[in-house]
Formats: sequence, structure tokens, C-alpha cells
Amino acid sequence: MTPQELVVRMLPPFGGWLALAALALPGGSPLRGAAVAVFLAAGPGAALVGLCGPALHVRSARGPVERRDPDFARRSDLLERLMLIVLLSTGAVMIVATVLIATHAFSGQRVLLALTLVTTIAAFCPRLRGASPPTPRTQKGSAP
Amino acid sequence: MTDLSDLPPVRPGRRTLAAWPAVPLLAALALWVYAVRHTDVSRLDDFGLVTALHPGFWAGLVVLTAGFWFTVRDPRRSGGWPAAYVLGLLLMERATQAVLYPTPLYAWAWKHDGVVEHLLTAGGLQTADRIGDMAVYDQWPGFFAAQAALVRLLGVESAAVYMAWWPLVSSLMLLLPLLLIYRTFTEDRRLIWTAVWLFYVANWVGQDYFSPQSVAFVLHLGVLAVVLRRYGRSGEGPGRQGQAVWTAVVGVMVVTIVISHQLTPGMLVVSLLALCLVRRYRDWVPVVTTVVIFLAWCLTAALPFLSAALPDMIRSVGDVGGNVATGYGTTPTGTGAVATSWAARLLSGSVLLLAVAGVWRQRVLRHRAMPLLLVAAAPLLMVVASSYGSEMIFRVLMFMLPGVAFFAAAALLPEVRTLAAEAGAGARGTGATPSAPAAGRRPSLPARRGTRVGGPLLVLLAGTLAFVPSYSGKDRINYFPPQEVALVRQLFDRAAEGSTVVAANRNYPLAYASYGTIDHYWFLDDDRRHVDEIVRDPAATLARDMAGVERPGRAYFLLTQGQVANSEMNGQLTGAQLDRIRKSVAGSELFRLVAENSAGVVYELRREGGAE
Repeated sequence: MTPQELVVRMLPPFGGWLALAALALPGGSPLRGAAVAVFLAAGPGAALVGLCGPALHVRSARGPVERRDPDFARRSDLLERLMLIVLLSTGAVMIVATVLIATHAFSGQRVLLALTLVTTIAAFCPRLRGASPPTPRTQKGSAP
Repeated sequence: MTDLSDLPPVRPGRRTLAAWPAVPLLAALALWVYAVRHTDVSRLDDFGLVTALHPGFWAGLVVLTAGFWFTVRDPRRSGGWPAAYVLGLLLMERATQAVLYPTPLYAWAWKHDGVVEHLLTAGGLQTADRIGDMAVYDQWPGFFAAQAALVRLLGVESAAVYMAWWPLVSSLMLLLPLLLIYRTFTEDRRLIWTAVWLFYVANWVGQDYFSPQSVAFVLHLGVLAVVLRRYGRSGEGPGRQGQAVWTAVVGVMVVTIVISHQLTPGMLVVSLLALCLVRRYRDWVPVVTTVVIFLAWCLTAALPFLSAALPDMIRSVGDVGGNVATGYGTTPTGTGAVATSWAARLLSGSVLLLAVAGVWRQRVLRHRAMPLLLVAAAPLLMVVASSYGSEMIFRVLMFMLPGVAFFAAAALLPEVRTLAAEAGAGARGTGATPSAPAAGRRPSLPARRGTRVGGPLLVLLAGTLAFVPSYSGKDRINYFPPQEVALVRQLFDRAAEGSTVVAANRNYPLAYASYGTIDHYWFLDDDRRHVDEIVRDPAATLARDMAGVERPGRAYFLLTQGQVANSEMNGQLTGAQLDRIRKSVAGSELFRLVAENSAGVVYELRREGGAE
């Protein structure tokens, strides 16, 4: 693992711990709001996508029938990654908050702590890999 | 190349003009900033924000739309410019109200703020025997639990601090899955971004506010994007490799939808089933995953609500007329309400007609994007299934919109041809432009280009401008000035546990504050005969209705400008009738005034024989 990869991998848990530290700032402070909002919007999703990324890319994606832009598929894959980061983060926040409230164990700090722990564990876990090496990510002419 | 063949060839050496799209974009944003600084929302009429907006806003929208259309058609521009224009559109469409109004819009958003407050106070989920009908929110708590966490983590007083910005946030979130879905079927940048533009201007239904459905809709499109790209029949599509991990990803998104919103899982199931009609997209794993998770939630956490609501739900199956009816108190009344309501209908009707034209005209695209066509049509099935509190027709429209906008955009753009047809046309033609029409059979190229640019631009402009009355035309109902918020807060501050608040309807801020301990009675929801009785003899009838409140609770009568606007503009009681009720209560010895300001009044029912 290169130092750059290590930084990218550790960024989401760092964001979580930073958000936890930001809770020491006064309520309503923009810095606190930014640290919390950025982590909740992207942190858990980024860690989960990082964990599953290689396994996800084993499965090739469908794309338009005819292609002239060689970068189109790569950009679609990037967009998909970004979408998953945001949606999985949203999902993680909603699921964790619901579990805690359903078990009468709810507090804002607990939600953030649980998400930060999940993010940290996901960052330290070995990457999930598929059964076979990645194939070209978007099949040419795969749509009807 | 087929989809892009009609575009003129790229001319080198004109880089100095590369940044020209910034000019209309910045001009439009400057006009918007000027307009919002010179718009006064303190005296809204029946046209809502439409007549209150400074003319600069409309000029800005025209400049933005024209700039977008000329930019998106130009092959020399990078894909970043259309994206910048769409972000500009979202700012003008979805952030204007947040900037203009000092308080959040929509009684429903305030209601959801009340649910978040309740979760924070209760610290857990409650059942109907504690909180009555409001227990339904505790059975789909995902969105509210997350917002409760956010309120605590941001350290703010309530979600009302930030919920005015939610339409912008949820609309921005929609952009990602929407783009991904469109990019599955075409590389044509014009088609992708024009479809995105049309989606946003036609999405006036107003479900982007602070609500579970705003997030559930984003996740719904996210699941569809993943299924369209990564699932399909083995042997033809990507096979089964990596499917377990993708199913886990889809599973997380489906769980989030299922714990947050009642209707969206149903819409997702019918959409996924519709996809299975196409052989290449036939994969039962996403459908089965969604159904299993949905059923698991319905048969456990949501069972109390569903078992109570099941008889009504079964009755409404197949009752299409009843399911599309909008019910009492939803008839637009008055010139403004009728005009803005027609603007919304015309906008939706036009986009649907455009989509039909696109499907009919774009034979190749119709074949290639058949799954999107099915996904657009599938929500119609839900009209047969339920009325969803008289809202089904609007929800169906919203769920159809991603597919509809794609084909509507296709109607505004040149015909897509296959490679073979293109090669044939090239061989028969002059050779200079592959898609140039043969002389004598069609108008000359410049004339056709003028029509191609001018006609669609006018359609796009009309749609973009029609969005404003459709979306903001009822702001007289939806906006609660700070005085109204302060008055209701004053009422709840003094109301003891067990009190009852009586109001004409629920269209006021904080209507659901303390719903665990304070009861409500909205008399316009009652039987028409009883409403007539209240109109005939207001003070005596209301006093009888309010007499059953037990100590230490008190009974309050609240009438605010939001209630009056809602009643007037939706064909219930007129302003004069409500004013008569207010005067009757004010002149009655049965009531005493406890709070009053420019936005409304609060009266308390005197106790018989007790000291006040």
C-alpha cells in the first residue's frame, strides 16, 4: 500500500474522529456543523465503498450501445462510486439512528460514535475481492 | 457516430470563446441575487411568490435557460458547463424560498419537525395507545431518527433551523442517481442534461421538502441506477460475478427506504417488476430482496399501523376514481389558486405529451431505453392500488418523471439513428455531413437548425418559467411569518399537559408541537353539518366542542393567517366566514383573549364557575 492509498483509506475514519472532537465546539458553530455534516454525508459510505470496491468492480456495468468517448464508462463508474458513497452514508446514518432509538439507547454522540467505529473498522479491514480478476468495467454494446 | 452525428464538427483555434457560457450563467445569477434582495414577501397575494418576485428573477431564469440550451448543444463545451447551469437552476428553483422567507415553509415540514422533537423528548418509539394516529411516524422512523441525531450533533435548537434548505439538499442528492440512470442509455450529453433540466422543472409536486419521501425517492432512484447498470440475465449481461456484494449494497439502500417511508417500497417493487419484463434486464434478485425486506418490516415494526389500515387499503384497491380524487378542501378557489393550479397541470401535461412525442419519434431510442420507458409507466399501477390520502396522483407523477423527462428531452433533440442507418445516409449523401438531408426533400440545413434551436428553446423556457407558479404559487398558504410562529409558540409555552388546541385547520407552524401531551381539534376536518353549525353559532358551538377538557389542561381557540389562507384558497370557509367566527369568539363571555398579534389570535375557554 502506497502512502497515498493509506491517506485515502484513513480519511473517512479521521473525519469521524474529527467530527466527534468538533462536538466540543459550541452548538450551532459553523465548524462543528461542517465537520459533522461532511462526515455524515460521506464518511461511512466512503469506508464501505472502499471496503467493497474491488469486489464491486468484478461485476461489469452496462452502458450505452454505441460509444465514442473512451472516458465515458470511466466517468460513469466514478459517478456511481460517488452516488454509493452518499447513499450508503445516508443509509448508515438512518439505520444506526433507528436502531439506537428503537432500543431506547439514543443520543447524538452515540450515533456519531457508532458510525465512526463502523467507518474505522471498515478502513482497517482487508478489501473484499471478487472470485475473478476485474473485467472491462462497461460492456460495449451491452444494452439492447 | 449515431447519437451525436448531427452536431457540427469541432473547429480548432477558438479557445478564446471557450469560457463564454460563464457570461449568461453569471448574468443569470447576478439577476437572481439582485431580485431576491429586492423582493418583499411580507404581503403575499393569491399568486404566492409569483407576483411578489422582482422582475429580475424572471429575466435571470430566461438568461439561464437560453444559456443552458446554447451551451449544451455545443460540442466544443466540456460537460462541466451544463452541470454548472443545472446547479444554477437548482439554486434559483430550490433556494429562492429559503433565502426570501425568514421561516421555513409548509405545515408538513413543521409537522415533521414536531415528530423529530417528539423522538428527542420521548427517547424511543411509541405506540398508538400513547400518541394516537401520530404513532405511524414511530413505525417508519428512519428519517426522523437521523434528523434527531443531526439536531443533537449540530447543537441547534430544532430542525427548523435548517429545514428551509432541505429542498436544495434533496434536489442535489437526486442529481447523482438521475445522471447515472441517463448515462446507462446514452452518451449524448445534450440528451442527458436536457433530461435532467426537464426533470427538475417538471418536478413541481413539492415532495422535496423536509420529509422522509424526499430521501426515499433519492434512494429509490439509486437502487434503479444500480439495477440498470449491474443486474441482468447471466450469459448476456454481466453474469453472477460479484452479485452478492451488489445485493448487499442494494439491500442497505432498500432497508433505508423501508424503515423511512410507506409508499416508496411499493413504487420500487412495481418498477423492478416492470424491468423484469425486458429479457436482458430480467433478474429476480433485486425484486425478491426488496419484497423480503419490505414484508419483514410490515409484519413486525409496522404491523400495528398496517393491521388498522388494512380494511381501508383493501377497499381502495381497484377504485381508480376514488384513488385519483383529491377530496374536500383541495379545490383551488380564487383567481390566483386556480391560475397557479392550471399552470402546474399544463406543465405536467406538456412534459407528458413531449415524452409521448419522444417515444413515438425516437424509434431507436425507444428500443434502446425500453427499461426506462417501463420504469416510467410502472408507477401508474399504484393508482389502482391506493389513494394514499388523496395524494396518489401527484406521487405517481413524481415517480414517473425520471423516465418521462428522458423521452421528453429526446423529443426536443435530433433523431437518434443506428450505426447502419448512419453509414447508409453517409454513403447516399454528399459526404460533408453524415446526417445532412438530401437536397429537395427537406428544408435547407440552416433553416432546419434554426427550428431545431428555436422551437425546443421556447419549450424549455415555457417549462422553466411555468415551474415558478406551479411550485411557489401557493406560498400564501405555505408561508408562516415570524409573528405567526411566535404566536403559536406562545400558546404552546402556556398550554398545560392535557390541553386541547382548537383551530380551523392544521395549516399553521408548530401544529404538532408536543403532540404527545397536547390534543388537537381541527373543525374543518369534521362533518360538514357540524362545520355549518359552527358557522351559524360559532362561540356557543365551539365552547361545547371544547368543554370536555379536564384539569389541569385548558382549551384554546387558535386562528392564524395560515389557516385563513388555506381555507380560502382550497374552497372551504371564506375569509369573511372565519372572521365572523373570530368576532363571535372575541365577543363571547365564554372565552378570554390570551394572545394576539398581526398574524392571529389565541382565546382560552373560561371554566364554568372556576377562577380564571
